[in-house]
Amino acid sequence: MRRVWLWTRGLGLWPSFSLLLRRFCIFCDRCWLPGAVHLIRTQTQNFYIGSCQLSPSGSGILRSINQSGYNCPIQWKLGSAPIEPPHCPLLPHRSARQRPDRAVRCSAPLSLRPRPPPSLAVRRHRDHTRSGLSPEWMWCEEAKRRERGELSARRFQALARSRRAASLALSNRKEIATPHHGAVNSLQVDLTEGRYLLSGASDGSAAIFDVKNATEYEAGFIAKHRSILLVDRQHEHGHKFVVSKAIWYPVDTGLFVTASFDTYVKVWDTNSTQVVMDFKMPGKVYSAAMSPIATTHMLIATGSADVQVRLCDIASGAFTHTLSGHHDGIMSLEWSTSSEWILMSGGCDGAIRFWDIRRAGCFLALDQSRSQLGRRPPFLDRTIEVCLLLPISSDFLLTVLTQDCLQDHKNTLGPSTSSKNYSVQQRTGNRKKQSKTLHRSQTPTRGHVQQRVHPGMSSSQNRTIAHYGAITGLKTTTDGMHLLSSGSDSRLKLWDIDSGCNTLVNFEATRLQTSKPLQLAVTEDPSLVFVPCMASIKAYNIWSGTMFQTFRGHYDDVNCCYYSSQDQELYTGSNDRQILVWSPSTPAFTEMEDDEKPQGFFAADVDNWSD
Amino acid sequence: MTEQSSSSRKKKRLRSPNDNDEHPLGRIETSTRLEDNLTFSDTLIALQLMRTQFPKLEKVVTRPFILRSQLYSSVKDRTQVDRDLEYFVLQSLKKDRVLRVFKLNTGQDDHAIMFMDDYLKQIEFSVRRSTGKNQDGNEVFEWFERYVVHSKLDVSIDHLELYSLLSHGGDASDKHITLLMNAGLLIRQLIDPNMYWFAIPSIGPILKGLSQGRKEILSLLNRRKYKEMLLCSLENTRLRLSPLDVRFHLRDLIGSGHIKTVQTPTGFLARISKD
Repeated sequence: MRRVWLWTRGLGLWPSFSLLLRRFCIFCDRCWLPGAVHLIRTQTQNFYIGSCQLSPSGSGILRSINQSGYNCPIQWKLGSAPIEPPHCPLLPHRSARQRPDRAVRCSAPLSLRPRPPPSLAVRRHRDHTRSGLSPEWMWCEEAKRRERGELSARRFQALARSRRAASLALSNRKEIATPHHGAVNSLQVDLTEGRYLLSGASDGSAAIFDVKNATEYEAGFIAKHRSILLVDRQHEHGHKFVVSKAIWYPVDTGLFVTASFDTYVKVWDTNSTQVVMDFKMPGKVYSAAMSPIATTHMLIATGSADVQVRLCDIASGAFTHTLSGHHDGIMSLEWSTSSEWILMSGGCDGAIRFWDIRRAGCFLALDQSRSQLGRRPPFLDRTIEVCLLLPISSDFLLTVLTQDCLQDHKNTLGPSTSSKNYSVQQRTGNRKKQSKTLHRSQTPTRGHVQQRVHPGMSSSQNRTIAHYGAITGLKTTTDGMHLLSSGSDSRLKLWDIDSGCNTLVNFEATRLQTSKPLQLAVTEDPSLVFVPCMASIKAYNIWSGTMFQTFRGHYDDVNCCYYSSQDQELYTGSNDRQILVWSPSTPAFTEMEDDEKPQGFFAADVDNWSD
Repeated sequence: MTEQSSSSRKKKRLRSPNDNDEHPLGRIETSTRLEDNLTFSDTLIALQLMRTQFPKLEKVVTRPFILRSQLYSSVKDRTQVDRDLEYFVLQSLKKDRVLRVFKLNTGQDDHAIMFMDDYLKQIEFSVRRSTGKNQDGNEVFEWFERYVVHSKLDVSIDHLELYSLLSHGGDASDKHITLLMNAGLLIRQLIDPNMYWFAIPSIGPILKGLSQGRKEILSLLNRRKYKEMLLCSLENTRLRLSPLDVRFHLRDLIGSGHIKTVQTPTGFLARISKD
């Protein structure tokens, strides 16, 4: 494991880190250590990680391997802002596009076109394959267009990714040799490098695999990945019962957290394989989550058979607060990807609640009867047209209220894009929404009038349910705008987070596991959602709900799946104790990869700049 | 695609025996209508057609209702079905009496869709049956119809809201709510004591027949060696336990995903689907 240095610009120091995690050190941006891995967080909260090499001229080079999926060298001199070489084929950095960051600056200008609807890329791929064009031809065509400058870098990248995601199949070049003796319950690839896969199993063991470098090669080209770390019941501080969730510390791979049915949540140090701290819960712990974008807190949200969500703090080793409001155990937890303070929890009572951890209660409980027809249009389109708000509510005194409400809401133009609009007007359900820009011509919403205890807060008497059964899985899209939930009523629902409405997309799910928490996965441009359905994994188109593909390969019920957006690979774990890898089957890529990599030779990361 | 053509094939078989009885010229009309409606692109048309095909029951008098899973099997795009249903239910506010959705207690996510005038007639039947017994408190049915049914379109209603809506008619009390529950118009929820489900009154034997008929068809297919059967022979079987006919159940099972239809050279095949 590499040593990781934490570098935050302008945010000051995290003093507790240095005490607890001796690997951490905070540098200002003028200190460099060759060979070290740097983690940079830019103003727009994008994380970049790269290894630093010093070239003979004294300039440091940071090779960024995050967020782009492709190695993209960022070059800079000591003390000056880094400049990317102009011929880098993929320039995905959002920050470079919007604001010139000091850490990353892109030299090639990118156009500020609004992003095309994400399903377009997948749809286009499918149309082309139906017309008989081969994928290699497609890839060459796109590459040529990129070279000619007709296709922008971001578009090229998005097309490549969506094509790879659409062509997933059981990998014939990669396999993971699972050391578990029980069902695999949880999978996660670390968020910093995208290199280490952490799995938690029912025999109380947790294992780490390196998915980029194989430990051995079978038959010359099949990469076999064995576990590089295994903690099981023989470990003196290991878990005694089922490990229901194993997650990485989101900032680096020095720590990971495991939650188990023996009511303990343990924080492990990866390098020394020791338990650093543990937290005792009142019941079996079903789920644990840490916010991937948190900069000011290090809280683990844990959900157990008890009705309260507990937040455990790594920095202090104690519980900070408990969130009550659910009426039954909590099976799934998810932090928001747009705000580090918002937590979403799904309980066995069928409710999905949104909590702002800075305040005491939940501010939103998703209600399945509050619905909107279709997606709300992207921001740019909405500002062009005027959004009127029309009254649709099942209140009897509708006509009387109509005029009043129109006056009130005329000034609030359309649903706000920030997720922190807690006004009572929005939450009483008496609001009206109509937008002319949607192709479904109206988006009326409806719901019943809810009694409010405090303005902006949802009382615990609120019994609105999101599913007619327990909520078994929650997943947000990476843009933080939509939430997918799976319930034990075998339904999948897509929610619009900002408005809190059900988008009424009907996913043709037949049977889902009802007693275990499931882990769903979504592709990065949210076009596909992967759902474990009994012994297979089904991929659905997220906006239309149609089933795109079924992945059959496991012998028993699948519990978890994880989609790595860097390599566009899907990892799935099931009750048959196997972790299967599903990788894109586009031949052009695999040919290129084979040519570059000498077979059987795996070395430490050597790159073009090391001397 | 197999589903929509299978449903259209079923429609051919379904319509000819029914319409033969009603209309001597029915055959010609059905063929022209079928050619127009081979695929159901519109939810409302599907609903209206399925309403006409509701099986006629001897013992129980019920107005036709359509299950949501039947709608899914006859219209191709499920998301469109959901959205259309929401739209029609909302439209009931503006030009009243289009549709109402009810949650059934057979299975986890069963919903029944009824046209508004059918529902009101059904209420009349059950009110007539229950008011024969006692005379006081009968005005509550009128209040219910006038104030609650037309303004509250969800599947469930809160206790307080029910009270406030009924009070528009007069002095509402617990006795009145008890009367409504006895007539079968409201059912208390198990999860929350303050909430009531709206229900279709006097529909109990049909619901029992629904769940038993489903089990019977599934067991019929499961007993076979390869768990499949030709659709034409399946349609000719008579169900012992259910008053509803096989075609009603088949549509429902296909829509909920328990059975899938496969196109074969000898016709359509119904097979138990396993994940």
